Amino acid sequence: MKALDRKLLRDLWRLRGQVFAIALVLAAAAATFVMSMGVHRSLTETRDAYYARNHFADVFAGMTRAPRSVVARVAAIPGVQQAEGTIQQYATLDFPGRVVPVRALLNAVDEEGRDRLNRLTLRAGRLPQRGHPGEVVADEAFVKANALAIGSTVDALIHGRKQRLRIVGVGLAPNFIYALAPGDIIPDDSRFGVFWIGRKALEAATDRTEAINALSITLTRGASEADVIRAVDTVLAPYGGTGAYGRKDHLSNAFLDNELMQLNAMTRVIPPVFLLVAVFLVYIVLGRMIRTERAQIGLIKAFGYSDWAIGWHYLKFALAVALLATLMGAAAGIWMGSAMTRLYAQYYRFPFLDYRISPPVILGAAALSFAAAGLGALGGVRAAVALAPAEAMAPPPPPVYRAGTVERLGRAAGFSAIGHMIVRHIARWPGRSAITVLGVALSGGLLFATTQFLDSSRTMLDSFFFRAQRQDLTVTFIEPRNDDALFALAQIPGVLRVEPTRGVAAKIIRGNRSERAAIESARADAQLSVRIDRSGTAIALPPGGLMLSRQLADKLAVRAGDRVEVEMLGGRRTRLTLPVVSIVDEFIGERAYASEKTVDAIARDASPVGAALLRIDPAARARILMQLKDMPMVLGVTEKTAALEKFEQMIDDNMLTMIVFYIGFASAIAVGVVYNSARILYSERAHELATLRVLGYFRSEVGLVLLGELALLVVASVPLGCLIGYGMAQLMTAMFSSDLFRLPFAPSRASYGWSVVIVLLAAMGTAATVARRVQQLDMVRVLKARD
Amino acid sequence: MSTSGTVEMDAAGNAAFTASALCKVYRTGETEVHALRGVDLEIPAGEVLVLLGPSGSGKSTLLNILGGLDRASSGSLRYRGTELTDMGDAELTRFRRANVGFIFQFYNLIPSLTAEENVRLVTDIAEHPMAAEEALALVGLADRRHHYPAQLSGGEQQRVAVARAIAKQPGVLLCDEPTGALDSKTGVRVLETLAQANRDLGTTVVIITHNAGIAAMAHRVLHFLDGRIARMEVNAHPVSPAGLSW
Repeated sequence: MKALDRKLLRDLWRLRGQVFAIALVLAAAAATFVMSMGVHRSLTETRDAYYARNHFADVFAGMTRAPRSVVARVAAIPGVQQAEGTIQQYATLDFPGRVVPVRALLNAVDEEGRDRLNRLTLRAGRLPQRGHPGEVVADEAFVKANALAIGSTVDALIHGRKQRLRIVGVGLAPNFIYALAPGDIIPDDSRFGVFWIGRKALEAATDRTEAINALSITLTRGASEADVIRAVDTVLAPYGGTGAYGRKDHLSNAFLDNELMQLNAMTRVIPPVFLLVAVFLVYIVLGRMIRTERAQIGLIKAFGYSDWAIGWHYLKFALAVALLATLMGAAAGIWMGSAMTRLYAQYYRFPFLDYRISPPVILGAAALSFAAAGLGALGGVRAAVALAPAEAMAPPPPPVYRAGTVERLGRAAGFSAIGHMIVRHIARWPGRSAITVLGVALSGGLLFATTQFLDSSRTMLDSFFFRAQRQDLTVTFIEPRNDDALFALAQIPGVLRVEPTRGVAAKIIRGNRSERAAIESARADAQLSVRIDRSGTAIALPPGGLMLSRQLADKLAVRAGDRVEVEMLGGRRTRLTLPVVSIVDEFIGERAYASEKTVDAIARDASPVGAALLRIDPAARARILMQLKDMPMVLGVTEKTAALEKFEQMIDDNMLTMIVFYIGFASAIAVGVVYNSARILYSERAHELATLRVLGYFRSEVGLVLLGELALLVVASVPLGCLIGYGMAQLMTAMFSSDLFRLPFAPSRASYGWSVVIVLLAAMGTAATVARRVQQLDMVRVLKARD
Repeated sequence: MSTSGTVEMDAAGNAAFTASALCKVYRTGETEVHALRGVDLEIPAGEVLVLLGPSGSGKSTLLNILGGLDRASSGSLRYRGTELTDMGDAELTRFRRANVGFIFQFYNLIPSLTAEENVRLVTDIAEHPMAAEEALALVGLADRRHHYPAQLSGGEQQRVAVARAIAKQPGVLLCDEPTGALDSKTGVRVLETLAQANRDLGTTVVIITHNAGIAAMAHRVLHFLDGRIARMEVNAHPVSPAGLSW
């Protein structure tokens, strides 16, 4: 080994604490990168493979009822490669002894396995057999959540008729990766399942012999999705078509896209923060190293080493840190990525989902680490290269100190000599001081920006579940009903209030933009369902015209006062031009609202009740649910508390795990920054500190010189950190918002508080560890040497 | 003269330091270095004592032990009757704070503090200090009190160090090569300030030097060799530093 390389290894070992602290920050960048990019890649690849293998369709359409012959007509539309018709039917399931409502979506499946689109993957068992109408394949998550098995039987109410279903297989399909019951915002595997039943059996059970109510379509390469959708809508219009839509509006696919988008956003925001801090840390540590090794550099150059050899020597120091960081970061990233993938596997139903270690991702992380370390090293390396040997061997000029503005103020406040030492040292090294302040501030900002997602989710939850929804139960009907149904519900003992709601599927068009949305309405005296805007105030339905959610209005580029065209999907396909009266800030979904009268004008039907909202006496819950289960008109019952619990469980599982990671990461920044500043400070001031000890200062007082400077810098970072956190949180909530969720920016004081406390603890704990070195100050040795 | 409440007056006499059989052994790995091999010494209060001897003869080790920067391995050392060898770190710090002024070859000023502030570093914590300006006036630097060390010459810096040492009105001034980095003329000025402190404040002064010429200003001169006092000279007529040259 060459002598210079030997020096490099010894330098790395001598400065191992600082090397490790920088590597920790760089490793955090590499880890988040490897985690989020790796999970993103794993999810994307798994999804794409699954979609391709099981022939996930490109366009989907629903209708009230159409003859099977319509499939051929759709298949003939230019741009359509394949079309396949099926029946989808909701059913309620009756588990003896269980009062909680359970729903299932039944899908027709070809008994011979000849389906071409959205193909079922059997995990166990077999397909239903022709001539055995009760045989079903059930989705894996539902089977697990309800402790069912092949051979289990379930009583179902299908299309108003009771039927015993027998599970003969367990499976999953690409159109139900994320399975949501209607009206739910979070999957509940124990209350909602997807079943596949023989086509003939489902036709018989739903009186749809040789008829369908759903279509799936694949497109030829290069076909225009919009054109095909328009043509399909025209074909299906006479059959109550509810509007064809592409993958982006397919619920399961949209949730998956949303997740991928968030992972992507995370990759773009978080690693850069760590990388920035790491650049600064390498810059100050290498800068200090080169300053202390000035004479050695001069000597080595005098021996005849080239400038390039010296520069490369110091650059290698930075690259060695990057190598260590890449190894640590990749290992941590793979571990976290696997944990996160396991979490995803609970919510997304894939036949296989493993975190795959992807060499390009690891290489990407390595490239980032090396680039950041190299960039940080640039300043120091340049200084080392530029140093002339003779000049380098002479002692450096003494640092120039001067009293700054702060001190002139401080003089009045009666600064002690120690106080002057602290303040002037900060002012003497403004760049390094600023880096310390910025580094700790970034750590606090990052922590805040990530922990406030909890506030954001809770605000969304509160708005959705407590302010907007005041009912206890939502009862959906098999088909729209008249007021008799409401009356029947009101008769159940323990039901305190019943209110109707209805929603019609419509296409809202403005210029060349159009969006599918449900237009919801409630009666003027409604108390159970209220539209709440971002600030938490209830907004009344406009007597005429539409109220749009902000999300929808933005997509259509409309403002209050504009007029839009509304085309009802299904039914009579009414087309109306309506004014947009108001915009409401909502967090979940894209929705439109209108008064009952307006919706009646669009729908023009006589059965205006699509669902009923119930407020009940909690003591009567079980009895009410039992009774609802026996009512043939009831399709499903959603319990608000159950949905809320599920949502909170998801936040706990998902967010808390992430937040623990981020507390670790943010602390890594604070520790890395403060440790390096403290070590440099200590090495620069060892001589002065020893002098103070000689003069009769106690260890604790001497320690204060170190801690005082660091404390000032850390305290200065608090307001900056809050500011950075505020900006970063706003950016991140915006980046994490999607068509499905619009995250509110609603940070709590507690989040600011916790971020500040955690960062202060990490920073000052680290500073105190370094300050303990004062114990080891050798007064005698230090004073013998020239400073 | 300043005496700390923690240090009692020696009832028996007026000795500042009394050392008996003082030994110091440094252990570095397997090898032992005997820096002091049984030193017996009494330094009366108000004495100017010069320690001479080659490098490694033990004079700096003795000075450091006298000043409470280091602890003897065995033997006894009393300052005005109080045993120093049993003291812990905090007590030794308190002892230095109250009684000892140090002056070193390389000044050891804090570069970020002005001359006055360097002196205030001591007056901030001493029990009966003189004003910082007064101490600087004593060394003839009253007009340069707002200068930073980098703006002062070597001699001026050393005089600031002297002012810092005498500002607390210490019982004893311990000086390790105080003129080692200075030319003759500047060195003399520094020694004059030490003599003045001895004369006016009654401060005991111990000076280590390689420069035999300085010995003429001492009441006594100790010659060190191999960790022991090899020889002692008593100077019946110490000369004023102004009469010294080298």
